[in-house]
Amino acid sequence: MYTELNSILNTTPDSFTQGEFVLLSDRQSDASFLIHHFLSLYLRARCKVCFVGLVQSFNHYSAISQRLGVSLTQAKEKGQLVFLEGQKESLSVLIPQENDTGSQAMDFLRDPSVGLKNLYEFVRSAVSSNGEEGGDGSEEWGPPVLLVDDLSVLLSLGVSAGAVLDFSHYCRAIVCSQLQGNVVMLVRCDGEGEEDEGDDEGSERLMKGLTHQCSLTLHVQGLPTGYCRDIHGQVEVCWRRRQGDGQYTQKKLFQYKVHDKGASFFAPGTSSAVL
Amino acid sequence: MLPELLQGVDTGGLLVIQDSASYSGRHLLQSFINAALNREEAVHVLGFEVSEEELKDGLRGSPVQRLHFHNAYTDPLGWTDHPAFTVHQFCLGELTRLVKQTSHSKPATLVIDSLSWILRHVSTPDVCRTLQQLRKGGAVRSIIGLLHADMHQRGTVGSVCHSATSVITVEPAMRGDEAVAKITKRSKSGKVIQDEEIFRIKDDLTVVVQSKSSKGAKKADSEEQETDPTANLTFNLRLSDTEREAKQKLALPFVFSKEKKTALLHSGPGSGRIHYEPDANDDYDQEDPDDDLDV
Repeated sequence: MYTELNSILNTTPDSFTQGEFVLLSDRQSDASFLIHHFLSLYLRARCKVCFVGLVQSFNHYSAISQRLGVSLTQAKEKGQLVFLEGQKESLSVLIPQENDTGSQAMDFLRDPSVGLKNLYEFVRSAVSSNGEEGGDGSEEWGPPVLLVDDLSVLLSLGVSAGAVLDFSHYCRAIVCSQLQGNVVMLVRCDGEGEEDEGDDEGSERLMKGLTHQCSLTLHVQGLPTGYCRDIHGQVEVCWRRRQGDGQYTQKKLFQYKVHDKGASFFAPGTSSAVL
Repeated sequence: MLPELLQGVDTGGLLVIQDSASYSGRHLLQSFINAALNREEAVHVLGFEVSEEELKDGLRGSPVQRLHFHNAYTDPLGWTDHPAFTVHQFCLGELTRLVKQTSHSKPATLVIDSLSWILRHVSTPDVCRTLQQLRKGGAVRSIIGLLHADMHQRGTVGSVCHSATSVITVEPAMRGDEAVAKITKRSKSGKVIQDEEIFRIKDDLTVVVQSKSSKGAKKADSEEQETDPTANLTFNLRLSDTEREAKQKLALPFVFSKEKKTALLHSGPGSGRIHYEPDANDDYDQEDPDDDLDV
């Protein structure tokens, strides 16, 4: 959890806007540090968290969260965190074992054209089972949160952009609107620019569709001037809903540097290495 | 043009609000809903992209008792057991049934939020046909649809916009809370009017047109040029008679007058002269340069 980012987004573990759909995106850069931020933020906020991790193993996320001061293993044991480890699940779908009782969530791997209904069913059961864990003194958790890292992997696995948008729509409908929780999704764009429509149409279309759905975007880009040791890139924060002061869309640009145990955000040109 | 459209789309009209990821047209759509509600018309909203709570939250202060929300948001594809409205029900019969469920004397306005959702699952010709049938069917007075233009191929957007009577394309303007609306309106006589306006949506969802965009701005420019540029100068552009006389008297240094010429050619007394007496060395024969040699 990066406190500087919290103050930019006006959130704390104790008070955050509910019903928000946050879109994290990157173009030729890496926004995964933001996923770790939101994961640790919502775990500290005592939310019921469902994490769909398609990119890395559980140990990877666990190690990073440990550095940010949150234990994923404990959260999992307490029933606060439901973790879908995409890599393991896909293995059990592709190489079925006889005594396998794996979930149906990754069924789309066999036939991508059926859509992501089963993955949605997994998310729905994870976020709806709040406080129904049984009588062993399970704790009450806050509003549910869904994190997906990342949606572009689904495109690579053969799912169409439209099916991914359907999935994100259903997730938004149940988590944000019905249960007043939050959704955080990461999407990657490898295209050169926004006008580039030729070879990478799927991810562009996915990103635009998600932008229409979401209420807050954090778009990570590399510096336009190239690599720099002291500034790792820039984040464009864009609020798309009606804010308190009546403005509809508000944009702010920050540069950032990721440290070992955190990240610093500053206005463009005010890096401590420059001043 | 925009206030005119807000006052009511013609009977049988289809208004398409086109937006992109950089500026959402939903706020303008809400202004249209608000305007229709304030005219005491019944409004049916077919909501794919917003929940009822969200929509009504956006319409705070409007008389929402005439607003009928048809929930296609929670389950548009029938993934759960009891879908309220799925995208495949988007056809004349179903929509007429929905609108007719509530009895009003006046035909209602149908708001579709958004056409993009439908176009993702229903083929473009089917969508266009349904829209056309709805316009002619008489169950609804007019249709207002939101379309995310950057989500579709250009041909799809073109097909939908061709079947519309009015198209408003919204784009972000230079200033934060303002936006540019490019409006194309086809009247029944076949005349096409195009206009571009900068507008702002106030908190109570009324639309304020700030200025006629580019064309208007150019007009303002030309008006400015007509004003006298010599109005507030710090120096004098005209000469008085005495000033002109003094100016004409003055001999400029580079003008070669007669007096100057004579003064230069006739040197006065006491000036230097050159006396020259040729000596032997000056007696030089060009044809025999070695004449002085004693050979």
